[in-house]
Amino acid sequence: MILLESHSVIINDVLTDRFDKPSRADIQFVDYDNVRFHLSTPSSKSQILLSMGIQCWPDLVKYGAREHLQSEYEGYWLSEQDTEPEYNVSLIIDLEKIPEGVDDRLALISKLAHLKSTAMSSPFLSAFAEQASLQANYKDAAGAQAKDLGEQGETKGDLKIVRYREEEAIYIQASNDRVTVVFSTVFKEETDKVLGRVFLQEFVDARKLNALQNAPQVRYSNREPPLEIRHLPGLHNGEDWGYVTFVLFPRHFSNSSQAQSSINRIQLFRDYLHYHIKCSKAYMHSRMRYRVAEFLKILNRAKPEVAAERRTATGRTFRTR
Amino acid sequence: MSNTLRPYLNAVRATLTAALTLENFSSQVVERHNKPEVEVQTSPEALLKPLIVSRNESERVLIEPSVNAIRLSISIKQADEIEKILCHKFTRFMMMRAEGFVILRRKPIPGYDISFLITNFHSESMLKHKLVDFIIQFMEDVDKEISEMKLSLNARARIVAESYLSTVSAFSTREYDYNLANLTNLARVRKPRLDVISGHSKLG
Amino acid sequence: MSRQAPLVIDNGTGYTKMGFAGNSEPSFVFPTVIATHQSASAGSSNNSGGSGARAPPPIAGKPSHLASKRGIEDLDFFIGDEAVANSKTYSLHYPIRHGQIENWDHMERFWEQCIFKYLRAEPEDHYVLLTEPPLNPPENRENTAEIMFESFNVQGLYIAVQAVLALAASWTSSKVNERTLTGVVIDSGDGVTHTIPVAEGYVIGSSIKHIPIAGRDITYFVQQLLRDRGESAQIPPEDQLRVAEKIKEDYTYVCQDIVKEFKKYDADPYRYFARFAGEHSVTGRKYDLDIGYERFLAPEIFFNPEIYSSDFLTPLPEVVDNVIQTSPIDVRRGLYKNIVLSGGSTMFKDFGKRLQRDVKAIVDGRIAGSEERSGSHLKSSGVEVNVISHKRQRYAVWYGGSLMASTPEFYNVSHSRVDYEEYGPSLVRRFSVFGSAV
Repeated sequence: MILLESHSVIINDVLTDRFDKPSRADIQFVDYDNVRFHLSTPSSKSQILLSMGIQCWPDLVKYGAREHLQSEYEGYWLSEQDTEPEYNVSLIIDLEKIPEGVDDRLALISKLAHLKSTAMSSPFLSAFAEQASLQANYKDAAGAQAKDLGEQGETKGDLKIVRYREEEAIYIQASNDRVTVVFSTVFKEETDKVLGRVFLQEFVDARKLNALQNAPQVRYSNREPPLEIRHLPGLHNGEDWGYVTFVLFPRHFSNSSQAQSSINRIQLFRDYLHYHIKCSKAYMHSRMRYRVAEFLKILNRAKPEVAAERRTATGRTFRTR
Repeated sequence: MSNTLRPYLNAVRATLTAALTLENFSSQVVERHNKPEVEVQTSPEALLKPLIVSRNESERVLIEPSVNAIRLSISIKQADEIEKILCHKFTRFMMMRAEGFVILRRKPIPGYDISFLITNFHSESMLKHKLVDFIIQFMEDVDKEISEMKLSLNARARIVAESYLSTVSAFSTREYDYNLANLTNLARVRKPRLDVISGHSKLG
Repeated sequence: MSRQAPLVIDNGTGYTKMGFAGNSEPSFVFPTVIATHQSASAGSSNNSGGSGARAPPPIAGKPSHLASKRGIEDLDFFIGDEAVANSKTYSLHYPIRHGQIENWDHMERFWEQCIFKYLRAEPEDHYVLLTEPPLNPPENRENTAEIMFESFNVQGLYIAVQAVLALAASWTSSKVNERTLTGVVIDSGDGVTHTIPVAEGYVIGSSIKHIPIAGRDITYFVQQLLRDRGESAQIPPEDQLRVAEKIKEDYTYVCQDIVKEFKKYDADPYRYFARFAGEHSVTGRKYDLDIGYERFLAPEIFFNPEIYSSDFLTPLPEVVDNVIQTSPIDVRRGLYKNIVLSGGSTMFKDFGKRLQRDVKAIVDGRIAGSEERSGSHLKSSGVEVNVISHKRQRYAVWYGGSLMASTPEFYNVSHSRVDYEEYGPSLVRRFSVFGSAV
């Protein structure tokens, strides 16, 4: 498994099962980035309540997450006062009213399993929209006074901040020709820090490949936050911090399916990075296990062989000379 | 093997072989005890002069002989941060398993990465030249292992980055997908060939 | 820092049960198996044996187009059901043997996918509760801790003994009125049945007994009975085992008196014989068969093993009594009072009732004997025998883990990362029991 999936396996499994035969459920589980889920059947077996709590919900709401989810999950959405306490979003699925066709059901399940990524995508979508309008304005202006603007360069939208983890955040900024996404991430351990740096450097280098020329541009800096967000107060700078900047051009989100897949990837970037750091450590462990076993073999050669007692067919022992 | 490594290892081998003349020696401090003199450092007359064999600033071996035990500490080459962390991880991993390596010390001497303690009981129950072989082999392999780990780490990071970026990449034309699928298929079919080729390139 | 639900992972020889603390059922139950590209013969630390060094992982070559994913083959594997589904192109490995982890390389990768693919949790944010079999060597605990803390950077780790968790799970039963960690756990899965005495959270290792009769044997026995009665002529040969298993799971129960039960069946067979309707898995041909005495005979092999096996002849109640009698005298009363069932093969109807009656009979017999020998001068106040069965029996170990990990005390007894960094892996040698004060 190289890439992480963007849907929740538990939602997928449980709903597939419950759509077939409704039964009681009361399951609490999590997803990456401090997301909590609660899937329950509070009133009857056929009413599934799926609630989600996201740490950065206040941030997401600012960028239209509520409206976005509401339109995406039309018909399942519960209004704010009906939302389960301690959670931010609640959906109710009535098993008596779900579509009949197998494909429709699969589509619905997959949509519900993507609940978290849908919620997280709202700031990205709003940035993309903003970029489009900035671009349009820019063109208009450019037509009028091309020369003046040529010097000035670009116009910028608001900086959107999503604090998706305790200390780490995503910063998104739209401008007339691109959208810049900055991740801040923290490495809690010395090894992670070093490995993280190696990985991030490769992200920067990988783009030099021909095949990846069209990938978003990646920049990375540790210690110092990049220029885009340097003016913000309370940023950390230190050895443990890494800042990764993705520059998305309009071609990365030109149509909606493309935009969605870009968003799904980008929002899992941090988890992807940390997953692979952990996997490399696991890989190194198995290498070391092998190497240590080899060393042990060499050392054991130094131990003189104990002459093994051998037996004849009749059961007598003899010693080889 | 680079040309300075051979003499370095030979020097260690010769010194170690010479130093491995150990005999049973009862503790002069505690009655009916037998302690490695080099560790307890209670009787200066039982200690011999310690010796450092050094290849360069970062690679050196400290050999501390005594009448009944010899302590050998190795400082492993660490060119950069990654090698440093890998080396630290590796030696730690090994020392965790010191039980199996009878001659491995659970803690290195300060300033060194890993230490061995060979007592007269070890040298009596094990073949001396094979013990020396082990140390030399260890020194050779540990460098190799660390640089290999570093290379593989870089390779991994590269692949990880490429796989990630390729999914966000802005290709949507069918042609590209087709090409990619073709490439994947080819790679699969030709995998044995590729192995042969890479094997050759390794030699070269 | 807000705390997220701890992960509870119970890796058994056959199945892995995992989920989040606070739930009543594991979110995932699948076989503990990993499918890799390596040949099956390669052991824990493998391939090119002769040349001394494992072929160095290829460095991503110059023409590094995306198709060549060499260098991270170690990520190319499946676990659980997906592994079984891919068994044609991959080779399967079982990293756990007899309850203990044998292949650490595979286990580490197994956990990797457990956490990242299925549970989707960032281990840095969670505490983890793992289970271990009784008498697990401390080295294994250390290795586990090393992996969990160094590879996964978990926030904290607790390694619990399965039997103790099974005891904790029994607290849900209405029969239990005091929460104690003293008792005998009868853990019967697919391969083997263990009887494990636990005193105040500590396993009494010397008294553990294993019984080589468990779920699989019952299935074989059902199959054998069907064959003896000629019923199996109806069943297509490839389905026989599956049908036997189905019958075992759906129709069997434990009777209180085998002779009476036979008489009952003979007197009114129509009432007691059940019909089983099956369908040929390939051709779709329908068939049905009678299920007779095997309904109560199948689980009977626990109580009268001589009807099935000729090697192992001690009935389960006797084994339980033996286990308790070899334990220290001051805990015996507690052990008799709390005999807890765990695992799928203890789920037969009335299993607990029968076991309780039989153990009680043995105990009462012994008391009566000693009273008589004392010349009726001494009167015993009697020994209380209780067999506890409860709703969560099937995944009792996991449930016990979920229960314990959701108490606030869990965070105090588990080993935190800060401690690990200070003391290293030997930290987990220290074993702190909890729950006794709950």
